[in-house]
Amino acid sequence: MAKRVSVDRLLFIVILLLVFIGLVMVFSASAVIAKERYHSGYFFLLRQMGWAIAGFIAMMIGMRVDYKRLKHPAVVFCLLGLTTVMLILVFFLDRLHHTHRWIHLAGFSFQPSELAKPALILFLAFFLENRTRSMDDWRNTLIPAIVPTLAFIGLIVFQPDLGTAIACAAITICILFVAGLEIKYLAYSFVGSLLPLYFLIFHVAYRRDRILAFLDPYSDPQGRGFHIIQSLIAVSTGGLTGVGLMEGKEKLFYLPEPHTDFIFSVLGEEMGLLGCMVVVALFATLLWRGVRTALRTQDMFGRFLAVGITSMVVVQAFINMSVVLGLMPTKGIPLPLISYGGSSLFITLACVGVLLNITKQAE
Amino acid sequence: MSVSTVRSGTNLRLYILAGVFVLWCCAICVRLVYLQVFRYGTFEQRAQHQQQRTEEVSARRGIIYDRAGRELAMSINVDSVFAVPAEMPKPTSTISLIARITKQDPRELLPRCEAAKTFCWLARKPDPEISARIRSLNLRGVYFQKESKRYYPKNELAAQVLGYVGMDDAGLSGIEGEYEGQLHGRPGQMLISVDARKRWFGSVEKQPEPGENVVLTIDEKIQYIAERELETAMQQTHAISGTVIVENPRTGEILALANRPTFNPNLSRQINPEKLKNHAVSDVYEPGSTFKLVTISGALEEKVTRPDEVFDCQMGSIVYNGMRIRDSKPHGLLPVSDVLAESSDVGSIKIALRLGEERFYKYIRSFGFGQQTGIELPGETRGLTKPVSRWSKVSIAAISMGQEIGITPLQLVGLVSTMANDGVYVAPRIVAATTQPQSAPQTIAFHPANERRVISTFTAAEMRQMMQGVVLHGTGKKALLIGYSSAGKTGTAQKVDPATRAYSHTKYVASFAGFAPVNNPAVTIAVVLDSAVGLHQGGQVSAPVFTRIAQQVLEYLHTPHDLEIPASRQVWLAQAKASEKDLEEGSPDHPGEAIDAAESASNDAIAPALPEKRSAAAAQSNSRDDHAATVSRIVPASLRQTSRSTSFSQTASGANSQLLTSSAATLPANGTVVLDVEQGGISVPSFVGKSVRSAIEIAELSGLDLEIVGSGVAQQQSPPPGAHVASGAKITVKFRR
Repeated sequence: MAKRVSVDRLLFIVILLLVFIGLVMVFSASAVIAKERYHSGYFFLLRQMGWAIAGFIAMMIGMRVDYKRLKHPAVVFCLLGLTTVMLILVFFLDRLHHTHRWIHLAGFSFQPSELAKPALILFLAFFLENRTRSMDDWRNTLIPAIVPTLAFIGLIVFQPDLGTAIACAAITICILFVAGLEIKYLAYSFVGSLLPLYFLIFHVAYRRDRILAFLDPYSDPQGRGFHIIQSLIAVSTGGLTGVGLMEGKEKLFYLPEPHTDFIFSVLGEEMGLLGCMVVVALFATLLWRGVRTALRTQDMFGRFLAVGITSMVVVQAFINMSVVLGLMPTKGIPLPLISYGGSSLFITLACVGVLLNITKQAE
Repeated sequence: MSVSTVRSGTNLRLYILAGVFVLWCCAICVRLVYLQVFRYGTFEQRAQHQQQRTEEVSARRGIIYDRAGRELAMSINVDSVFAVPAEMPKPTSTISLIARITKQDPRELLPRCEAAKTFCWLARKPDPEISARIRSLNLRGVYFQKESKRYYPKNELAAQVLGYVGMDDAGLSGIEGEYEGQLHGRPGQMLISVDARKRWFGSVEKQPEPGENVVLTIDEKIQYIAERELETAMQQTHAISGTVIVENPRTGEILALANRPTFNPNLSRQINPEKLKNHAVSDVYEPGSTFKLVTISGALEEKVTRPDEVFDCQMGSIVYNGMRIRDSKPHGLLPVSDVLAESSDVGSIKIALRLGEERFYKYIRSFGFGQQTGIELPGETRGLTKPVSRWSKVSIAAISMGQEIGITPLQLVGLVSTMANDGVYVAPRIVAATTQPQSAPQTIAFHPANERRVISTFTAAEMRQMMQGVVLHGTGKKALLIGYSSAGKTGTAQKVDPATRAYSHTKYVASFAGFAPVNNPAVTIAVVLDSAVGLHQGGQVSAPVFTRIAQQVLEYLHTPHDLEIPASRQVWLAQAKASEKDLEEGSPDHPGEAIDAAESASNDAIAPALPEKRSAAAAQSNSRDDHAATVSRIVPASLRQTSRSTSFSQTASGANSQLLTSSAATLPANGTVVLDVEQGGISVPSFVGKSVRSAIEIAELSGLDLEIVGSGVAQQQSPPPGAHVASGAKITVKFRR
């Protein structure tokens, strides 16, 4: 039924460009830190390249394997179960820094919360495919759809990784919205989430500080406002064309995590408005092609998958940029495809592979 | 149908979702444009401020050499200590600790450091031991910065000539100040990017260019002689200040320029501004009789008189235009040569009147008075010379004997050197050249840049003859040298009391300016002593200084003797040698007594000829001692017939007799006395017990080459402490843990 067309070349090129920009920026942002921590400026670059290659292999596989083969309870629930197990496991395996985000295995470290996003997408797409007409049946549709989501979010929140949890929630909301969830339910869930959010934020010192810093960074420029001010300084220093690749100064220990969460600051400083606009435009193109794919896919499973994957990438990207630009309080969310981080890159590329496969089968 | 409605419904929702994302995207773009375009300047300034400091990298200051390439001023690297209080776990206690080590007041240091969170000097250019101690504490937030410290290896030597530098390495007086532009070099710039942890990522943007070296015409050894003899004279005469200038009259090169009181430029924090004064160029004084050289040479040159023309000195009194002038000693009929030799005021007034105001003024100007000599030293004054139009009726009389005119000691040297240099005035110079930073000391061909004929060769020869007469039978008899002819002119000027604006009867400026040997002068020496207590005439207090310096300098310069050493003196030399032995053996019996008696009877005129009383006659009148001590000093040199000057290693302090006795006691039997300058040695410091690091610093400071064996604490050294070695000698120090 689905007409076999070639893969979306534009989307493919956008992905390639983003990964390429990512590698360049990771090197620029991390060289000094890498030199200091590991005595080799290429440490992070080489690891990221390894993950990128692995991610491309996964993407090619995802591109070639018909996404409909994912529409199988064995696949969906296996993934869901595996993710749940791993999310619980981290609490026992990783005691580093009071956070439980990583699973270290044979020299690799992996963030299970990254896996939670595709697992959720796949589950929701699978579960909602045939329930678009019963979206207000909360007993049979909403509760079962939301329970795994809430479980994941709960587990991730207590890692603690509020950023990823919020990203998961956003992806879920996107899919539910497209699936036809009534607005009132969205409003309910929003109101309902306020109380836990309040406790999660204002009863955890560093999160409270982040909110206060967002509201008025200059109240404590050397303390809680430091990171956001440094980020703003970095971006504004860039000007139109930036200070030049590798020339940025803010990444020299001013910016927290210059090669991961604040890589967009480094991009802003070194490549200026031009570079930032190119990256924003690439993500916007990704959004466009993703939505286009969703619109053209007759298959609801494919449509939801496309919406989920597209929103996964775009939501994270926009949240990350908003944080860097001082539009949102600080969260621990990387810039997909660009920030340093193996699990994120690998899984995002694998997901994009699935999206590309969907484009093949779109009208 | 239902499928299509569902799809259209989801389509709508997809569009809505996409719209939300697009809006978000637009917000991001707007924010980007706002930050990177509209806020571009403001944030950038903030960024520059916090990350980049352009630190000056001070260039290595040039070296000041003497004419033989010996360092008079050099720069060494020392560690300055600074704090980054923000990094200190406990700033108060840390800073107090350092204040104790550096002996500063913590109450002064603490607020300063607390005010500056990121940077605060704790100790600028401290002694190496102090910085080493602080370093060994390994305190957090305490850092070291290499700074160059000016070091004057010879301490007070030529202090006013060299000047000194301030904390920021800027020359503040003397050559250091005058040649600041050349010596300082161009500081480099280091762009220091400070990261969030305040660690420095320095990148040198501009390499510092080291300063040029300055080579002086000063000869360190001659300078040393001048300094020492001036010091002796200061102690004997209790003068307020004094200056000695030694110049090569042919080229105008200043070979030595000494001032008292003086200072140690290494201790620049404690310098009294009065001591900074370079009297030779900045003092304006009434020259007195030395100025008669202008009067008489002008008259000779204009052929209004001849050396043998006789003037009536009217028994020392003349009334000119209502002003009565008295000579200090009444003279009757005197030839011009004796007017100079006896320094008759009446005679010189008559000669000046014959010369006339205009011509007299012309000579005053052409001898260089009333204008700067142009020497490369700061603070030079022109002196005070009024043009003829402003002369009063009696001015010509006053000026003819050196009143109503102000000159500097250096101008006096210029005047006397003109006589010595066959009538050609050569502007004095003290800087031979500036050389490129890395170049080794080199021979510099020196050409007098600024010379002009003032009087004819013939007049100059006549003047030299007459000036020799001053020494032979006039007021300057104490300027007689052994083995060299000498010439000069004494001057004793009453100082004007600033309160009464009248001439003081107690304060005099005693001067003597002369040259030797007479027919082929090698040096011009001027000695000016201000307000000597007791004896105050130039011939009494300044001439002996001239003698002592001239004798030693001529020997040092290998100037050939132009006089036979008289037989009587040779006899005396032998006696002196014997007496030294006697003294050493503790048997003072010696034929000196007879001579002593004769000497006591004799006046100053013959005293220099009979200096042998020195060896035995201990307690003698001070006036004689001056000269006698001089002669006995030079004895060993003459004995050895070496060309080098020698002297006792001590300088006179108080009574000469004591000096002599003690000095003689230390003399080696053969009379060979080694001048401490020539020894030129460095007393080896003790390294024992020092760490390797501080040993290196000590060696660097002392100019020694250190050979380190082992590590840890110094246990043995060779040569031993106190030994005298040449500069740059190798010292082997064994370290053990």
